[in-house]
Amino acid sequence: MFNGFRGILYRELNVFRKRAKKQILASSLSPLLFLIAFGWGFGDRVAVNGLPYITFLIPGLITMSSLNQSYGIAQELNITRFYFHVFDEYLIAPISHVEIVLGEAAYGMFKGLLSTVLIFVYSVIFSVKLIVGPMFFIAILTHTFLFTTLGITIAMLVKDHGDQATVNTFVITPMIFLSGTFFPVDKLPAVFKWLVYALPLTYSTKVIRATLTGGDVNMSYFLLMLGFAAAFFVTALRAVGRVEG
Amino acid sequence: MAVAEQVKNVLEARGLVKKFGKKTALAGIALNIREGDFTGLLGPNGAGKTTTIKMLTGLIKPTAGEIYYYGRDFFTHPRDAKRCIGVVPQQSNVDRDLTAYENLYLHSILYGIPKKQRRGKIEEALEFAGLREYGHRQVKTFSGGMKRRLVLVRALLHGPKILFLDEPTVGLDPQIRKNIWDLILKINQRKGMAILLTTHYIEEAEKLCRSTYIIDKGRIIAEGSPDDLKKDMGRYVLELFLEDRIEEEFFSSKDDALTRLKECGHACKIRQVTLEDVFIKLTGKRINV
Ligand SMILES: Nc1ncnc2c1ncn2[C@@H]1O[C@H](COP(=O)(O)OP(=O)(O)OP(=O)(O)O)[C@@H](O)[C@H]1O
Ligand SMILES: [Mg+2]
Repeated sequence: MFNGFRGILYRELNVFRKRAKKQILASSLSPLLFLIAFGWGFGDRVAVNGLPYITFLIPGLITMSSLNQSYGIAQELNITRFYFHVFDEYLIAPISHVEIVLGEAAYGMFKGLLSTVLIFVYSVIFSVKLIVGPMFFIAILTHTFLFTTLGITIAMLVKDHGDQATVNTFVITPMIFLSGTFFPVDKLPAVFKWLVYALPLTYSTKVIRATLTGGDVNMSYFLLMLGFAAAFFVTALRAVGRVEG
Repeated sequence: MAVAEQVKNVLEARGLVKKFGKKTALAGIALNIREGDFTGLLGPNGAGKTTTIKMLTGLIKPTAGEIYYYGRDFFTHPRDAKRCIGVVPQQSNVDRDLTAYENLYLHSILYGIPKKQRRGKIEEALEFAGLREYGHRQVKTFSGGMKRRLVLVRALLHGPKILFLDEPTVGLDPQIRKNIWDLILKINQRKGMAILLTTHYIEEAEKLCRSTYIIDKGRIIAEGSPDDLKKDMGRYVLELFLEDRIEEEFFSSKDDALTRLKECGHACKIRQVTLEDVFIKLTGKRINV
């Protein structure tokens, strides 16, 4: 049982192992730049929602960075699917689509969690105190699962590499900037609020920030995260089914 | 024949249709493969060979039609069927980011080969492919022929009952082509594995296949052993060298051909019919290599 799940994880982790250094280095750079520019740049002078800005920023960087990594497997899936047809090997094997999706999702979550650990290291360097409780773990697992299944869905639906880049430019990047990663969304004009509250990242960010900074977790936001996660799991499953044509 | 009747059907397909949007790639195809068969699927570019193989191996779903492996419905029992299928696709889809060993190891997990047997089977496979010293090299660094051999032994790793080969030797030089055909023949003879292959090299198909289907524009236009197909056309060809072209006439005996040769008054030549003649006559196309 779970041959498909284990096989896919074996493949992905083996490939990852070979590129680990480069990948970790690359994924550690941009959050560091944000921390230097906004964290040190603004320093203690700016407070947001009663928190020093850098304390506000770090949970945002955790959601952003882990989203980038978990969702980012779409890029890799694309290459294996279109250029090297490695994906065909999974489709021909006696394994189910559920196993394919869960195998890839586990890999996406692994990458997301790795980048989370990295930002925790930064938070120590920048001496920012965070509270890490069980609710944080539940939230980050849901968050990475949600965005990795979104990534799988899109990687299976797009027709080629170019489409993938378009989705990233027009959906993912705006989402990262608008969903409260760098500033509280409640300050946005009403029109934008509508948009922002349609994006799953908004809820992830709110919930994860609350767990890390000792705020109150809004349970209905967490339930919405679970809803998005379930929805994207289903779309990923369907999308894999469509690849079979 | 009593003996033939005892041979089990591995694969039976009926009425396979595949439409891509408005385009009909396959317009109703029926196939029958028995244990130990060596069958060729021949046809010009775009005839629907790859589409047929993809459908039979579960990579795409047919628009209509039925597929049975050992009498069981492929679509309601895909896992059982997939375990007895091995596939060498038209494009070598080995994982370039893994080593040869890792590629085979991945396959052994996906197909549920027990952990204790994996190492032994993989080493045997690498040996069979002549890749023993290359097991721990990244597949990125492999030549086309090495990749092809790796895909071939990967398809065999789980001991399938039927092996699908889509253009197993296309784009390889004659030496390596022969080497791959030898491997395939060995597999068929030693393990009694049924083989369904497509190829552009009709001469090679003629030598190896005991039965053939000729497919054109999504339909099967002829089937039978290479010998029977040739017999149906006439065993001898008279090639007439006209000014602007070569015309071919077919005869069932050499004597008839000789009589015609004497009276025709052109430069001409008699030779035996080949499967390629059958192919060209039926499809009106010379196959593109
Ligand atoms: N995904 C697809 N979308 C649309 N049309 C397709 C698709 N795949 C195949 N076709 C069409 O179906 C027909 C059969 O294609 P197929 O690849 O099966 O041919 P083939 O016999 O394998 O040819 P070749 O000898 O070139 O490999 C072709 O006309 C092709 O253009
Ligand atoms: Mg083809």
